[in-house]
Amino acid sequence: MEREEIFSKLNEIFEDVLDLEEGANLTDSTTANDIEEWDSLSHIQLIVAIEKAFKIKFTSLEIMKWANVGEMVDSMESKLN
Amino acid sequence: MTISELAEQSAQLSHTYQVTPEVYQAFQLCSQDLNPLHIDETYAKEKGFKGCVMYGNILNAFISHFIGMCLPTSNLMIQSQDISFHRPVYLNDTIQLEAGIDTVSEAVNIINYKLKFRRITEGAKSELVAKGHVQIGLLLDKEA
Repeated sequence: MEREEIFSKLNEIFEDVLDLEEGANLTDSTTANDIEEWDSLSHIQLIVAIEKAFKIKFTSLEIMKWANVGEMVDSMESKLN
Repeated sequence: MTISELAEQSAQLSHTYQVTPEVYQAFQLCSQDLNPLHIDETYAKEKGFKGCVMYGNILNAFISHFIGMCLPTSNLMIQSQDISFHRPVYLNDTIQLEAGIDTVSEAVNIINYKLKFRRITEGAKSELVAKGHVQIGLLLDKEA
């Protein structure tokens, strides 16, 4: 799956889970600090929704290492391709 | 206990509850909801129900008990729950709560259970009165 396609699907998941009216507009450098609704509980919901939508599984170690959305997408790319 | 172990041990569980006068009164006291649908039998009958409709959120309290007391570990907390009401529940109804696993994520240590509430009536087929989900997170010890 192309990176662009992952981002597009990820934007939809973020908008849905975080209930964002103006879109998530995710980029490689986006972090939880950039989106008010992205707190610790919604982070869990995001991971669950991403695992479900992309039919992939993360490990707790893996998600702890991510510093931004770009690193999350790197992980996803390696699982999806 | 790990989240996978919990998932294995709680794959399919059920527990039976009774909507007793004590449960009804305790919920009324707690919620202070005195809507006539719940307290005025004549009003409830005029609206097409066979008696006072019990507070739907009593079922949410049953979820609280189920998660807090019926799962094989107490090291957990509810993160979210949703419920939809399909049929009214009445005083003295016997309700069976059935839980099956919907989603498990080891990455974030959660299980999402799919819930069904059925009214159990002796000699009759059970009726689905509500359904929903509850997501629990496993509580981990704080690192020293």
